[in-house]
Amino acid sequence: MKRSNSIKVIGSLLLSALSQPAFAHDPNFGIGPHVLFKNGIETALETNLNKNGAQKNNQTGLQLTYGITGDWSAGVKLPYASKVSPTNTKSGVADAQLFTKYRFWRQDSKGLQESAAVMLAADLNNGDKNVSNGANDIISGLTYGYESLVWYRWASVRYRYNGENNAGIKRGNKTLVDFVMGWRPVMPEYKKPDTVWLFELNNEVTEKNTINGKQTANSGGIESFIAPGIFWTYRNFAIKAGVQLPIYSNLNGTQNKSDYRIRTTFEWHL
Amino acid sequence: MKKTPVISLLGFSLLGLWANLALAAGTQYNMRVDGLACPFCAYGIEKGFVKTEGVKSVDIDLKNGLVIVKTEDGITFTEKQLKRIINDTGFTMKSMTESPL
Repeated sequence: MKRSNSIKVIGSLLLSALSQPAFAHDPNFGIGPHVLFKNGIETALETNLNKNGAQKNNQTGLQLTYGITGDWSAGVKLPYASKVSPTNTKSGVADAQLFTKYRFWRQDSKGLQESAAVMLAADLNNGDKNVSNGANDIISGLTYGYESLVWYRWASVRYRYNGENNAGIKRGNKTLVDFVMGWRPVMPEYKKPDTVWLFELNNEVTEKNTINGKQTANSGGIESFIAPGIFWTYRNFAIKAGVQLPIYSNLNGTQNKSDYRIRTTFEWHL
Repeated sequence: MKKTPVISLLGFSLLGLWANLALAAGTQYNMRVDGLACPFCAYGIEKGFVKTEGVKSVDIDLKNGLVIVKTEDGITFTEKQLKRIINDTGFTMKSMTESPL
């Protein structure tokens, strides 16, 4: 595998890891079953900083979500990305993402909501050449959430199917499994600021990349992260922030381990 | 014209006027809503009611799972309408009471 191809694949993988639709009261890195109210509009600005050895990837995305029903939302994310390595810096409009989530189960009781949802997203191959994945990717997911006035719990599983680009390179498909706890230290009051602390355990299993059908040695593997974070809201405005730190890594061949990933999201419900 | 029918007529008119005024007054709906766990998510309820014609104010008590809606004069909602609005915002209305403002 040529060095330039390796860099492209690693960069694309990192950008893939960054790309995920943000949804209201969901975890920072995992997903939850939250959707929007009917006819509601959510605007979000999400920024990601991802360091992996000498490679840094930044992505800022504008996201628009619409509540089709009280249980079904859909939207689009338009990211701008930059890849910084010791030798060069590339930036441009990254691949747009279309996404939808359907909450198929909801159990409400006083001060508590349990629910489950499925999500589907597609990363389109329409970004600038130097930051695009170069292929259409599909992400599917299933998530459960328990949300009370004090405690939160989420669990989710996602599968990312990566397409093959014109050069015959296919980034390895990825399975993501997340467990998240949330704690609200002060009883919430409507029309007052609200804070929830989050603690995530994120696991990623990545298959090997292939070039023209042949597996590459220095690709794929397992990584696990812990991710402390915060969710702060006031009325219809929210700020989410979290940092993902590696706790376990078993990558195939010679690869840089992830150093950290930082994500912040500003959301506004209209 | 005798005095009694005039008094009766006046009485009925006043009664009718009072009845009209009573009917025209707004209504307060106190709804017990399940699933309320965070103020950010509950904003959808406020949004859902505020855009509904005739709603004067919305207040939410998260701790007690209460949504209080006051309507403008002469505006009323059925239980079915209220349930639908709450459901469209992702929550469940368990019960409600109504009283004139």
